[in-house]
Amino acid sequence: MQRDIAIVAQAQVMTDSLDIPRERMLFDLVKGLFDKVGITRHDIDGFVLNSNDFEVGHTIANVFEDTPCGAYMKDETHVEADGMWAAQYTTMRLLSGNYDTALVVGNSSGASTFRPYLVMDYQLNPTYDRQLGILNELSTAALQARAYMAKYGAEEDDFNEIAARLLRNAALNPYAVRSKADATAGDVLASDYLYEPLRQLACYPFTDGACAMILASGKRAKELTDKPVWIKGMGNSVDTYYVGERDLATSKSARMAGERAYKLAGISNPAKQIDVAEVSAKFAYQEPIISEALGLFKEGSAGKVASKGLADLGGSMPVCPSGGGLGAYVFTANGLVRVAECVRQLKGEAGEAQVSGAKTALAHSQDGFCAQHNGVMVLSTEEG
Amino acid sequence: MRNVGIIGVGYTPVFVSKRKDVNIPEMISEAVDAAFRNTKLTPDDIDAITFGNMQTFEGVNMPHLWAADHMRALDKPYMRIATGGTTGMSTLHSAYYHVASGLHDVVMAITWEKQSEGDSQVGLSGIVMPEAMVMVQHGMDLFGGKGMGAMGGGSTGAAAYQAMSYLHHSGADPEHIDKMAALERSNAALNPYAHLRKKTTVADIQATPFVSWPLRFGHTCPTSDGATVAIVASEEMVEKLADSVAWINGVGCATSDPATVNFIEGQITDPAEQEPARMASSKAYAMAGIKDPSKEIDMAEMYNGFAHQSLMWLEKLGLCKEGEAHKMLDAGALNIDGELPTNASGGVFSTNAIGASAMNRPTECALQIMRKIEGGHQIPKKIKNAVSHGWGGMFQYVTVTVLGDEPRHGQG
Amino acid sequence: MTFEMGEETREVQGTWDISTYKYLIDGAGMKLLVDSMKEKKIRGIKCPQCETVYVPGPTFCRKCYIDIDEVVEIGETGVVMSYAVEMADVRGNPLEEFRLTAMIKLDGADTWIIGTISGMDWHDARIGMRVKAFWVDEPVGSLADIDRFEAI
Ligand SMILES: [Zn+2]
Repeated sequence: MQRDIAIVAQAQVMTDSLDIPRERMLFDLVKGLFDKVGITRHDIDGFVLNSNDFEVGHTIANVFEDTPCGAYMKDETHVEADGMWAAQYTTMRLLSGNYDTALVVGNSSGASTFRPYLVMDYQLNPTYDRQLGILNELSTAALQARAYMAKYGAEEDDFNEIAARLLRNAALNPYAVRSKADATAGDVLASDYLYEPLRQLACYPFTDGACAMILASGKRAKELTDKPVWIKGMGNSVDTYYVGERDLATSKSARMAGERAYKLAGISNPAKQIDVAEVSAKFAYQEPIISEALGLFKEGSAGKVASKGLADLGGSMPVCPSGGGLGAYVFTANGLVRVAECVRQLKGEAGEAQVSGAKTALAHSQDGFCAQHNGVMVLSTEEG
Repeated sequence: MRNVGIIGVGYTPVFVSKRKDVNIPEMISEAVDAAFRNTKLTPDDIDAITFGNMQTFEGVNMPHLWAADHMRALDKPYMRIATGGTTGMSTLHSAYYHVASGLHDVVMAITWEKQSEGDSQVGLSGIVMPEAMVMVQHGMDLFGGKGMGAMGGGSTGAAAYQAMSYLHHSGADPEHIDKMAALERSNAALNPYAHLRKKTTVADIQATPFVSWPLRFGHTCPTSDGATVAIVASEEMVEKLADSVAWINGVGCATSDPATVNFIEGQITDPAEQEPARMASSKAYAMAGIKDPSKEIDMAEMYNGFAHQSLMWLEKLGLCKEGEAHKMLDAGALNIDGELPTNASGGVFSTNAIGASAMNRPTECALQIMRKIEGGHQIPKKIKNAVSHGWGGMFQYVTVTVLGDEPRHGQG
Repeated sequence: MTFEMGEETREVQGTWDISTYKYLIDGAGMKLLVDSMKEKKIRGIKCPQCETVYVPGPTFCRKCYIDIDEVVEIGETGVVMSYAVEMADVRGNPLEEFRLTAMIKLDGADTWIIGTISGMDWHDARIGMRVKAFWVDEPVGSLADIDRFEAI
């Protein structure tokens, strides 16, 4: 990349029942981040906001986000997709040389403001799929889970093991809204089906929240923090909208997004070179599909990974030490949260969930039905 | 920093009230195909795609995902931008930074709106839905019948206050708004991609009723269906791929606060002050190496939902002194063959597919620079530098793009 | 056999369930305002740093980016910053009675509110004109407690 760019600091807030206005949540979060880093809003030369009109129920969602994020009379723009695209756009603006210090803020109040699955219904082709009433968030996810099980002989229990690990990891994450320190596959099995084969504890909890991050050029980042987290690579790719035209057991767009990011980051063997991964999975079954597409594990190995604990905190390739999407899933901001969790790991601030010696991390994001659109960022403690 | 140019533009064949013959992705793909046709490029030449519209106007969440196949976006990096009225230009700026970052070389920016498929009133009232409800709960008469009325200004909303404030501070008369309206509608009559295409006189405009003094019906924009696509490329790829180019030499954007109906947190801004216009344009001019825009800019495309705004923006963007724009209008300087042709396209005032509206400003400038204008509104003089402008949100967002016939000489 | 795409367009109905939203809105400044209106007073919040007075008051100053909570009383007279005269409804039908409304900066406030001005010919309205709020006889703590503004 033509310039070194780093993440200076991150801040998160998450809740399963928002009891303050969204605007106040944003002010507290961003103000807190500025105070932590020791800067003011005037030190930021580019604001990139990130939210979705449908989730927050505002046409032009950023109209009332500018002032609480400190953007009054400032350079500001808005990405309406998962927050990782906002982080990638911010990185591009910094790479251009036109900006030196930037703030990216993603937020959603979709869980308490709107019925979360309905947000997905509105993504359907309105003239056909929406009228038909067959496709929705859960039915498409169930189809995808079945596709993976059929292709690779995976069992529901493999997914329950994944869910249990994520719920245990979530117990170590102060931001998680759902967790269980001693969760077992049996606990997940004991929860109801939301849509067979999707057990409730293997599906994302409805979450409100926000994530803010300060990014800067290399020189500026070093002035602002002792531990800059360097952005080494990024990429994204989109699949066809039509779920029937995709091989749902794998993810072509996740693979391509990963390849693009790896190429920039100089990564040839992700399973070896990446120390920790934060994958955006809305459901436990999605984690193997995506992490396999990203080259972190062999194709179809969910059962083996689960039984050998390879993705556990102490495993060979820790995935979602934060608990991932099963601990909290802030629609829109989720991909940004994954980046923020990588930052916590690489700064050594992840507490009990710290992966020891983590130097290179991967963050992943998704949008659309069965993760139609995937994004990846590779981060490192090492400059250059 | 890398130089980036617009190497091709594609429009839907028409911008009209209702495209009943196509659905949303089909309509947008017409503009995508036109961009390929006009540049002789194929989808394989495109490294990444940016996409923008105002999704609440059609009621489809994240329509870029549904439209991905039709956009020839499969297996490509893809990014959705939405910033209200400025969406079109923000989407172009995103494409610009895809290239300026050094990560990509040829990027397509897609912008559109199909307003006939949604409810524009729902889309617009959605901006302040909860705030308006709280005001009603506290006894406010929303439409200003008595006492405190949050949405005073009538059906033109606060645009009427903006127009009045502009007239007061500039010394222009309401008749200048009529005159600007007639000029732009007559320009639109020459533009095959304009929506309202009828040669219009000042008398025609003055025959329309007042909605909210000083604004008449004849001062307001239509709602349109249509899409606009621009392909941008790095300097290296411009040499390889393009037979003509308009360079994006400066970009800027800025926000203030929601500057009208903001009864929740208190409004502190004159809707005609538009400080973000000064901020965004100063940045864009500096990038482009333009020191005195009033001398160096050869044409302007202003975002004008209402006819008074073209004049107001010329002043805010430093193209003339405060209070001079209407004098330039009187002197004929804003005509297509004048010194500073302004909205030769007919402006947003004549064509408004919202998501594309702030894109049609720089694409018009690009085609004017390339001398590829279809229809009768090609500006006769040579265009070296052009400025385009977008406006949106609740009176708070401004985007500016400076284009040139040569790559930029500026710093930063 | 080939199939020729003919011109057939169908329309299907959809909705955007904006009615299902459950918004949380900061009402503190609004409550302060309507509570004061019960006493025929207008109160806002002042930023101690830049001294901007907001009515109704937000919980933070957007310029200084700090929490603010200093209550100040402001005047019931002010200046017309801009005005408009409503002459037609949303559909373009002329109104029987024109309505003069204005953006008013009340004395002591830095924010603008919108108010209806009565008792004058709209042709005489001017930016910079001074106006005064007139209260209803029995205020109840509602934004409707200000009945109208009149030129002074
Ligand atoms: Zn202040």
